This record gives sequence, C-alpha cells and structure tokens, in this order.
Amino acid sequence: MGSKLFNKLLLIAGFASLAHAAFSAAHHRTYLRLTEQEWNSLPLDIILQTVISLVIVIYNIIEIVGNFKEIRATVDMQQKTWDTLGNFPSFYSFNHRGRALNPGYTPPE
Amino acid sequence: MNRVKTTQSKTGEIIAYSEGAIRNNISAVEYCRTSMAAISGCAAGILGLSGTLGFLFYFLSVFVLWILVLVKSGTQWRKFFINRRNLLTNQFMGGLCTYVLFWTFLYGMVHVY
Repeated sequence: MGSKLFNKLLLIAGFASLAHAAFSAAHHRTYLRLTEQEWNSLPLDIILQTVISLVIVIYNIIEIVGNFKEIRATVDMQQKTWDTLGNFPSFYSFNHRGRALNPGYTPPE
Repeated sequence: MNRVKTTQSKTGEIIAYSEGAIRNNISAVEYCRTSMAAISGCAAGILGLSGTLGFLFYFLSVFVLWILVLVKSGTQWRKFFINRRNLLTNQFMGGLCTYVLFWTFLYGMVHVY
C-alpha cells in the first residue's frame, strides 16, 4: 500500500516535471522569436528533463498497473495431494451410528 | 468454472492456462502501452522532433516499455505471458496513432504558437 503511494507521488512529480519542461521549451522559443534568432535545438537541460520525466512516468505506470496474475491454471492444484483434494469439510458427519459403540450408550426408547 | 486453454510444452506435458488471468495481464499491458504512447508523444512534441526522428523515438519508446514490462515480470515471465514477442508487437499501429496525435498537438503548442 505504501509502495503504491510512493509510485503515485513519483508519477505526479514526473508529470509536473514534464509540464515544466514544456513550459521551458515554449518560453525558450518565445525568447528566440523575440530576439530574432534561428532555432537549432533545445538546450541540453530541457532535453534531459524531458527524457528523465518520460522514463519516470512510464516506469511508475508499470509499477502501479502491472499486477500480473499467474496464467497457468493448474499451478494451485500441483501443490495439493489427493487426500487434500478429496477433503470436503462441509460434508463431515459426526452424528452417525458409531455412538452405539460407547459403553455408556443407552438406546433411545 | 474458469475457461482454460492448453498448449503443449517441449517435454510433451500439456499446460492449462487460465483465460481470466491472461485477459487481466494483457489488459494491464495494453493500458501501459496506451499511456506510454500518449506520454512519449508529449515528450517528442516538447523536444521538437520532426520527421523520421519522431518515428524513431516511438520505436525506442516501445522497446523501452517492453524491457520495463519484462523487468517487472522478472526471470519468470512464463508465469504471466505465453509469448514475449507478441508483447512487443501487439497494438503497434494503434499506439502509433495515439503517439502521432499527442506528438503533433504538443509540437504545435510548444514550438508553433
């Protein structure tokens, strides 16, 4: 449970960092346009921030969503013996004629 | 009663698979894939990629997601998936459409306006 909360916090941080990178890139383009310079590529820090945010978000989505289940149907059965498979506690019968073997048994009149 | 389907392993033993568990795992991976396509499209738009470089970025993202899913499964991926290659190639074009959508949208937001 705590692990999921940690992953969700990291996910939110990743999205916030991605939004911040987008804002920085837009700000950088606006600055270049105002100073009439040619655009070649983004600064290295924006590129690194975007890529790292992308990896963080994808990893944490996999951690949150990826609760994979065992697909082999008979794995549970392989651990059990035949005695266990034949054991049905709901069908136990305690009220049977064996009580007649008790020395203190008095037949019902 | 769970529906099962079977395959035969190399040793001749017949393996029964649980249909519900397979669907659960595949839907989880599809969710991760759609999220990956959207977010990597956003990242490509922010980075200002265009043309072939953008599509290469998509292929790289698909591969990275595949690696992360297999790392998540650990060394016993056979417990969760029947085939690893299908994990890489399923829904490839659908994810590409989502990717191009977010890519062009974010590129327009950041670099055009």
